Amino acid sequence: MDIVTSLLLESIKASTPLLLATLGEIYTERSGILNLGIEGIMAIGAFTGFFVAYTTRSLPLSLLAAATIGILLSSLHAISSITFKANQTVSGLALAMLGLGISSVAGSKYVGLPLTLTLQPIRIPYLASVPIAGAFFNQDFLVYFSLILSIFMWFFLNRTKYGLQIIAVGENPSAADASGINVELVRYLCTLFGGALEGLAGAYISLAYLPGWIDGMTQGRGWIAIALTVLSLWDPLKGILVALAFGSIDALQYVLQPYGIPVSLLNSLPYVVTIVVMAVATILLAKRRVRPPSALGTPYIRE
Amino acid sequence: MSGKIKSKKGYSRLTVALAAGVIIALIAGYILGSLGKVPESNYYSLQQQYQNLTALVQNLTASVQAQKIRAAFIYVGPVGDYGWTNAHDVARRYVQNLFPWLETFYVESVSAADAPAVIDSLIAQKKVNVVFTTSFDFMDATVEEAKKHPDVIFFHCSGYKRDKNLGTYFAELYQLYYLNGLMAGALTKTNKIGYVGAYPTPEVIRHINAFALGVKAVNPNAKVYVRWLMAWYNPDGARQAAQALVSEGVDAIAYTEDSPAIIQFAEEQYKTTGKMIYVFSHYSPMYDYGPDVVVSGELVNWGVIYEDILMKIKEGVYNNTNLQNVDYWWMLKEGAVELGAKFGMPINPKFVNALKGKFVQDPTLGNISIYDLIFVRLNQMSEETVTFDPFTGPIKAQNGTVMIPTGVRAGHDTLWSLNWFVDNVVGSPTG
Repeated sequence: MDIVTSLLLESIKASTPLLLATLGEIYTERSGILNLGIEGIMAIGAFTGFFVAYTTRSLPLSLLAAATIGILLSSLHAISSITFKANQTVSGLALAMLGLGISSVAGSKYVGLPLTLTLQPIRIPYLASVPIAGAFFNQDFLVYFSLILSIFMWFFLNRTKYGLQIIAVGENPSAADASGINVELVRYLCTLFGGALEGLAGAYISLAYLPGWIDGMTQGRGWIAIALTVLSLWDPLKGILVALAFGSIDALQYVLQPYGIPVSLLNSLPYVVTIVVMAVATILLAKRRVRPPSALGTPYIRE
Repeated sequence: MSGKIKSKKGYSRLTVALAAGVIIALIAGYILGSLGKVPESNYYSLQQQYQNLTALVQNLTASVQAQKIRAAFIYVGPVGDYGWTNAHDVARRYVQNLFPWLETFYVESVSAADAPAVIDSLIAQKKVNVVFTTSFDFMDATVEEAKKHPDVIFFHCSGYKRDKNLGTYFAELYQLYYLNGLMAGALTKTNKIGYVGAYPTPEVIRHINAFALGVKAVNPNAKVYVRWLMAWYNPDGARQAAQALVSEGVDAIAYTEDSPAIIQFAEEQYKTTGKMIYVFSHYSPMYDYGPDVVVSGELVNWGVIYEDILMKIKEGVYNNTNLQNVDYWWMLKEGAVELGAKFGMPINPKFVNALKGKFVQDPTLGNISIYDLIFVRLNQMSEETVTFDPFTGPIKAQNGTVMIPTGVRAGHDTLWSLNWFVDNVVGSPTG
């Protein structure tokens, strides 16, 4: 395997939790709900995934459990911000802290226990031996799932009646309401769906990327996913690109190190790239009139 | 007259009656009084005794409390990191179980800026009389706190500033890195060995140099390629750095990072592609994370250091006035560190035959298998008088300058401030 393929293979792995969480947040935000609690949901998802796999020795069950706990946690945010019209920023941040705290306490007894049952790569015949692109076809179930899901989510959002309802609710909830769409239901479903993906994103870390449990193993990915949601311009397909870009920047740092570039400069690469991409995105936004969902972050109160 | 007598008599009868009454009252009073007086005096003496007893109990409690050591541990990371902080907390629990007169407290994930406030509140509220600060970052805060609380005993881990009530301690691993280097040098097939370092501090540079010296001792053709993480805990970075090294042909990796990420990465490579990357675990027992790929590693046992310090405080050997020169720099000899990826297993049995099958020509030991050489060196460094040290000259830096002359064994101060790499290391010692 050549260097580029092996690096791409690793970058795809590193980007998968980012992609799953970003996809979740795209739908949540498209419906007008801002969920800043991703980091907390991912942390508990990671612990739950590990814990269920460790105790039941069943990967399907542990993925199901991680998604379920994600739904439960995001329902806290949904209840407070949709039903009780609370401040979404505060509620989301509270969820992030709650999740990190609970996972740390619950996981304290499980530190240092390696997980032998992990998500294994499934090699797709012929495709996996293609140079470079083959890296996409020698991955585990959740990687394939997240890639197929992005395409499906893009299609669902832009080409189906229900997808257009989500967009309508996020852009102009009162008009959507007037046309007979149940605004609260759509927002609830999108928030809970987002939570499920964020729970899975956490489980990917503890079941495939770093099998086992270590306190703080989500490493701020939940916050990056919030930035990636903006960078993707709320589009599930672009989500693949931005997540992969971020995954490879990290991996690239260590390839570039021997070439005499100061490490501290390399370490700042992800942030430099964020600023550059944001600037480019802003220009694109202005040109193509792409902007955040108009009703993002504002509770809908029927007049 | 008769009236008078009468009256006299009457008076006298009245007097008699009164007198009798008085007498009766007096007697009764006396009896009652004396009756009452007895319990009263008893009561007072009882009260006195009670007060004496209370005072005694209070004195006893005070003296027991004075003898009871209340030790606080200030951690820089979470106890769940499975690296540095976890190792200190394992040791804290060990001494807590060992000494009935010890009560321990800990605060995790403390930043250097928050350390003084955390220490103040532990002293004020938990009445701690011994404080362990377990990160280099805490050095200046600890020095200030030690001045502020002269009656409290402080011990700072990994620093060099001391005071009359502030000692320092450290469990040093370089001997083990050297032994790991012997193994890596013997096992590598590509002659490219990787090292993923946290920060370019003298400690990490010392460990990389010791590892490289071990490699060189058995395999002069092999080089050690370094990647820096600029973080003590960064499993993602460690994994990606390992990937970068492997894609450049490295087939053995040692590292300094507080997670088993590199072990997991190597195990995953072995399981999915059959590719063998020899890895060496860091700090905590990590054998179980990669039984197919972990050769050995370094283990630390802070417990013996904490046990010694606390015992000496308890016995009065150490107090708040005589710690100026108390500095623990404990290694193999003292049992503060151990070779292996699992306590009691110096080398993974899977690799024992490979190491027994390779030989090296040693000036004094003759033709010796790498396996035997490892144990000869291990024993030489574990004896009461250490007869071997990896940092014995001639040792050259990367540019060829002789840094440690022939026959000279580098002392504590040289090792403490290393900022150069030995000549078979590829990479920059400044990051």
